[in-house]
This record gives sequence, structure tokens and C-alpha cells, in this order.
Amino acid sequence: MPFPISRRHLLAGSAALAGMSALPRGVFAADELVAATFGGTWANVQKEILAPYFSKKSGATVVQSPMLATAQIAKLTAAKGGPAPFDVAMLDEGPALEAIDAGLIAKYDAAKSPNFAGLYPQFQGEYGPAITMQAIGIAYNPKTVKTPPTSWADLWKPEYKGRVGITSLASTLGLAFLLDINRLEGGTEADMTPAFKKLKTLLPNLAAVSANFGAHGALFRQNEIDIGVQNFNFAEELKAKGVPIEFVRVSTGTPAWKTTMHVVKGALKPDLAYAYVDSQLAPDVQAAMQKTPWNVVPTSTKVPYEGIVASKIAKTPDDLKKMVFFDWKKVNQGRAAWTQQFNREIRV
Amino acid sequence: MAAAATEKSREWQLALPLTAFFALFFVAPLLLVIGISFQATRRMTGGLGLNQYAAFLGDSLNVEVLTDTLLLGVKATLLCLIFGYPLAWLFTRVSAKLQSLLIFLVILPIVTSVVVRTFAWIVILGRHGMVNDTIVALGLSAQPLHLLFSEAGVVIVLTQVQMPLMVLPLITVLQRIDPNLASASSALGAGAWRTFFKITLPLSMPGIIAGTILTYTACVTAFVTQSLIGGSRLLYMPMMIFQQAMDLQNWPFAAAVSVIFMISVLLIVALLVALSRGRAARLYG
Amino acid sequence: MRRYFDWEGWSFTAVFALLSLITILVLIGPTIVIMMLSFTGEETLHFPPTHYSLRWYRALLDANELQDAFIISIKVAAITVVASVVLGVSAAMTIARSKSPWMRGLETLFMSPLILPALAFGFAALMMFSLLGFRPSTFTLSIGHIVVCVPFVLRTTLASLAQLDPALLDCSVSLGASDLYTFRRITLPLIGRGVASGGFIAFMSSFDNVPVSLFLQDARTQVLPIYLWDIIQNQLDSRAASACGVIIIATIVLMVLMERFAGFSRFMK
Repeated sequence: MPFPISRRHLLAGSAALAGMSALPRGVFAADELVAATFGGTWANVQKEILAPYFSKKSGATVVQSPMLATAQIAKLTAAKGGPAPFDVAMLDEGPALEAIDAGLIAKYDAAKSPNFAGLYPQFQGEYGPAITMQAIGIAYNPKTVKTPPTSWADLWKPEYKGRVGITSLASTLGLAFLLDINRLEGGTEADMTPAFKKLKTLLPNLAAVSANFGAHGALFRQNEIDIGVQNFNFAEELKAKGVPIEFVRVSTGTPAWKTTMHVVKGALKPDLAYAYVDSQLAPDVQAAMQKTPWNVVPTSTKVPYEGIVASKIAKTPDDLKKMVFFDWKKVNQGRAAWTQQFNREIRV
Repeated sequence: MAAAATEKSREWQLALPLTAFFALFFVAPLLLVIGISFQATRRMTGGLGLNQYAAFLGDSLNVEVLTDTLLLGVKATLLCLIFGYPLAWLFTRVSAKLQSLLIFLVILPIVTSVVVRTFAWIVILGRHGMVNDTIVALGLSAQPLHLLFSEAGVVIVLTQVQMPLMVLPLITVLQRIDPNLASASSALGAGAWRTFFKITLPLSMPGIIAGTILTYTACVTAFVTQSLIGGSRLLYMPMMIFQQAMDLQNWPFAAAVSVIFMISVLLIVALLVALSRGRAARLYG
Repeated sequence: MRRYFDWEGWSFTAVFALLSLITILVLIGPTIVIMMLSFTGEETLHFPPTHYSLRWYRALLDANELQDAFIISIKVAAITVVASVVLGVSAAMTIARSKSPWMRGLETLFMSPLILPALAFGFAALMMFSLLGFRPSTFTLSIGHIVVCVPFVLRTTLASLAQLDPALLDCSVSLGASDLYTFRRITLPLIGRGVASGGFIAFMSSFDNVPVSLFLQDARTQVLPIYLWDIIQNQLDSRAASACGVIIIATIVLMVLMERFAGFSRFMK
């Protein structure tokens, strides 16, 4: 199987960015920041691009700890009142609101972050900047799915009986999918009945409901599922690794959400935390992250949309505004009840 | 007298460090969980009550998850017994060299990483995995079977993962049974099956009970296997605790679920222990 | 021996042998699959591999984070074993000699981490440590591991103490030897193998623990099993398989050594 991109290329590509050197390892630097990151694509891209850039700028090192958004909140909640378990949080929109409500996150001081002003206004959050926009659609195996899907309705086609994969509501991916189905069926965030009714009819087609986002990707690789909902960045990264997978946006509008970064309340190294978040906003970093296989959608006005991001997601910032957004405050209120109902509906 | 008394107290002292350690780091957290389970609200604002327990018992889904989990353990434990017993029996019949090899094979699963093992099972049981390839190639089924993300799959994997816990106590007991008993039985005209069911099996009961307790508790609490092989469509108690504690940050409810789960497991263990006492009394009393 | 064909004996042996054979195959199957996967020449983990190579073993040499996770897990497991052995053996000395029902109660308490859901304990310990204001660290993680690993040491030590003839100890003491001397020269050599076996199981079970670590590991240190899971799932990283290959080979070597020097398998029964 030919691989368009090898590890070596990736390393060379990202290293070329700032002519940076590898992290000094095993040296217990006096200044060490602990930052949360997501698993998968995010852990990789931040390790290869953000960490070296930050170290070069600040002279400090960073430990990046991959954790689901919910796990970050759980750990911050557990440590509330004491020293924070990590300094920088990385969250999707829903969990971010939850963390803010629970008082886990400090207000973001733009004065300490020179690159903050360079963001589009929509990404300048009061409690922290959006570092990208995540979009979801359908991923499929082009070897086994001959007609490219165009809408969620395709997942319901009888020919995909026992071949479709979705994820549970523990991931924003699963949540956004359910919310969008609900929207198309005429529901609102206050009333999810239409979504659950529709979900029931998808059951015969489901091959797997992954407990988390990570497990979902592995199922594509192992050919357990041929078609399913997927996150744009992750699908493209799998493709770059040689996995037969194609990502398409759905015709009814692309559900999307902001992913934000925050300095946590009680951070042990607040100054370094600001330097780290600011590094993620730097045009150089965002431009490097936009390259294949990462395809991270930039939020800085100084980085024009290029490559796969431009061809598949957005050519201008206005394109981003046309995506489908949800009321995450209401989502947070309903999430516990929906999780229980989801458990009930999908049970074998 | 005095010497005996000081000796007694000194003996106690040796157990003190572990007792203190357990009081602090095992009993205290468990008491804390019990305490938190009585918090009335998710935010733990102070009001106490049985709300969490009422919420658990009030939803039939939760009760079903509990019974499913307890039944899952029964199925996997039975399978462990049916397949493990012959292996333990074989062990007592082979040469010392083969014994070492067998014990090595039995222990191997305990000491290989559970994460790795589970990944291997995904490969084996998957839609295009080894088992399904064989089944389809042999023409036993036109379609690949759903083994992964099914209860059958979870039971199979649990059986493999927990098998050693069943086999090892069985080996111990079977080795202690006087072989003359079986010889006497067959000399008196009883066939192999009859001898087995009338002599060997009853005498090995203590090992069966010990193995059952260990295997059962390990199966019902096996979080990694249950969630990865089962996926989200099969919900078991450990995953429910994780979901409530980590995804939804509902600690009081998670605590109540933990307490209910722990009590159920303890009751079943107590039942098995009582059963073994009863049997032992009848056999030897 | 037999005057006629013993149909019943034959069927009994056949059934038992067949069941044993299936069991053996199922027991070793996953290990073989992982070993094959670890030698894959492909970019991502896929079974069966189309071609084989040592590339992912070579890739381990500069997999820094994997090595870090490995070192942390070894460290935690080492702390766990030392503490479990010290605490467990001294408690076992008392428990084995005492007939008091209180001691039976204590023994049950010490063994109960084996039968209680480890996940529930991990969650409980996280709540307690956060109430006490401890930041999760290698320290809190080790404490959690010690609780769930002590039973293994206790069990094997008690088993070997049960085989120890109490008359030996009485002899030693009545001949004027101090308790410490008796312990060092008589008890320890006789129960040493049981302790070593328990320590080995405790080591492996700490090294492989997920449910407790999930709650108690701190943000800057990821233990190996959780790191492995992350890279298998999220990144389909083939180094996971070769890392597993290394673990399996190391374990087998360790087991053979333990068998040779401690008669390990006798204490597993």
C-alpha cells in the first residue's frame, strides 16, 4: 500500500517551521508547564508544532497530557480549592461553558497575549480564545462504499445494514450528530424527542456505538464500520496514514463548534500558561497546523485558508459562520438526561 | 502469663501498619463514597437524603444494567468452569515437565497487559477477524457474525481473561484428592463419568467455590474488557459509574451506583461462601 | 489392564482432552496475535500483516513518551511491590499465628480489594485525596496501587506460612534466638519463595492496572497501560504493538526466572 506521507515527512515538515530543535528530555527544567490536550490528532499536532515553538519562545518545557474534555473537568473539579492538576485546559464549547459555570477557569487577560488581538472577533472568547473550529460530516470507506454519501439520511439506507458507526454522547462528535438529527427532524435543544425517535430507526444499521471518540477511529481502520459520522480533522489524518477513508460534508449544513484554550484557575504557572495559549494563536503555528495531515482550521486573521481546509471546509471566515451551531448552554442542561435516554434507546 | 500477653500485643503490632494503611486509604475512601451517596443534589450543597438511591431504583434501565452485569458474571464464570475444569484435571494427569508448561500457559494471560489482550481480541472477533473469516470460509454462515460489541463477545473475552483465576484453585484442590478414591470407585465397577460426578466433582467443591468467587468478582468488575469489547450498546455497572463520575460529573449518583454495585457483589460472595460452608459441613461433618 | 473396550473411560478422556485443548488455544491465541502484529511491516496496525519487519521495534528506541510512561509504570510498580511486601508480610506473620476471630475479620478486610470493583475504589480514592487537598501524583497513584496489590502478597505469604512447621520457630526461640534472628534465619528463607511469587504478581498487576490509575494518575505522568491504549486507539500507532511485544517477552523471561528461583508456579495454585 502506498503511503502518501510518512512519519519522516511529517517530522521534517514541522521541524522546518521554525528551525527548531527537539525538546531537551530528561532534564527537569525548573519551568515546566502542564497542559491538557485532546487525544489523537491534537496530541500529535501540538506535540510536533506547538510544544517546540512554545519552548523556543519561553525557554520552558511543557508536558502535554491527552485527556477528554470531560476528564479535564472531572480532574479540575476534584482539585478545586487546591493546586490545579494542570495549567492549561483545552475544551470543546459545551464543556468549556460547564467549566466556566463551575468556576474552574480564569478570565483571559488579553493584555498578556499579544496574538489574541489578531483573531477574528468571533474567536475572542472572554474566558479564552478559540484555537480552531471543528466540523463533522460523514466518513466512509471508498473501497466498500461506492456511491459517496451526501447527507445523514444516507446512513439510514438499507444497504448499510450493520455497517454504520456512531459514538456515544461522551464525545462532542456524538452529541453534535444527535443535535443535528434533532434539528432536521424539527426538534430544538429543549426537546430532543424527534432525535431519539429517529435514532431508533438507525439501530438496524449500527455496527457499533463506540464508548469514546478514539475507539471510533480504530473501527474504521479495522474495517468494522464502513460508514459513519466522523470529525473532519481525524478523518483526514487517517487518510494521510493510508487508511482507506474519505470525508464529506453533509448537504444539510455542517455542524461545527469552537475548540477553546483556557488558563485554569489556580494555575501553578499562569505566565507560562498565557505564553502557551498565545503560542497556539501565533500565525506561524496556525499556518503550520493547517498543513496536511493536520488540517487544523486557523482562527487568526493572519493565516489565509489553504489546502484541504480551503477545499473542504472554508475559503473565507464567512464560510465558517454559515455552519450549523447549537446552544451549548441548553445542551449542558439536558446532557445528563439525554445520556440516560441514549443508553436506553441504543441498548441491545 | 505476662510473657504470653506481651507476645500477643507484639504480634498485633506487626499487623498494625497494614491495618492503619487500610483504615486510611481503603476504608476511609469507601466510607466517603457511602457518605457522598447520601448527598441530595449533584452540586453537593449539603442536603442529605436518599434521592440518589431513589433515582437509581426508580429507573428500570438502571436495574436492568445491574442484573445484566450480575448475569454477565454468571455466564462467564460458568464458561470458565466448564472449560477450566478439564484443563485442571488434565494438569493432574500429565508429567511434571508438561505441568510446568501448562501452568505457564495458564498464568500467561494474567501477566500480559489487559489493554493489549483486549486489542488482540478486537482483531480476532472483528467482522473481518480470524473467527469470522474461518466461519465464512467453512460456509457455516454466509454473513460474518456479530461477535464484537455483543454480549457473546464480552463473555468469550472475559472467559479467556479470567480463566486463570478459576483454573489455579481447581488445580490445588484436584491435586489433593487421593487418587485411590477414584481407583476404588472404578474397581467397584463405576465408569469414568460416574466416578467423576460421584467422587471427584464433589471433592473438588472447595476449589470450585474459591475459583468461582475470584472469577465472578473479576468478571463483573472488568471495566476495560466490558467497555471495549461491548461498546456503548451494552452498558454494565462499571461503565455506568465511569459515565456518571467522569462524563457527567454527578458524583453523588456515581457514589450511589458504586455502593449498590459493591453491596450486590458482596452479597453474592457471601452467598457462595455460605454455600461452601454448607457443603463442607455435609461432606465432612 | 482392561478386559473390554472401556467406552465410558474413552469418552470421558476424549471430552476432557478436547475441552482442555480448546481452553489452551483460547488462552494463548491473543498473545500470538499480538506477537504477529508487533512484527508488522505496515504503517498502521492491521491483521494479518501483509509483510513482516522489525521496524516498529526499532521505532521504540526513540519513542520518548512511551519510554517515559514505561519508566513511570516501573517506578510505581516497584514502590507498590516494596510497600506491599513490607506491609503484607508483617501482617501475614500475625494473621497466620492468630486464631482470634478479629484476625479473620482483618484478613477478610485485607483481601477485599480483590473482590470489590477497583473502579469504584479508584473513584473513592480520588474523592478522598481531593478532599484532603492532595494533588494527584506518583505518591497518590502508588497508594492506590498498594491497596489493590497487597492481597496478592498476603495470599501467597499466608499459603507458605501455612506450610511452615511452627515447631521450627519454637525450637529456635527456645534455643535463645531473638525473634528477629528467627525471622531472618528460619522464617524468611522458608517463606521467601511465597513472598517473591506474591511480589511478582503484585508487580504485574500494578504494572497493568487501569481502573485505579484512570482516576489517580496525575496530569503530567501517564502510566503505560493507559498511554498504550491512547496510542492504539487515537493514533493507531504501531509502536503500541511492538511495545507490547517487548512487555510479553520480558514477562516470559521474568516468569521463567521466577519459576527457576522461586518455584513461582507452586504459589499460584
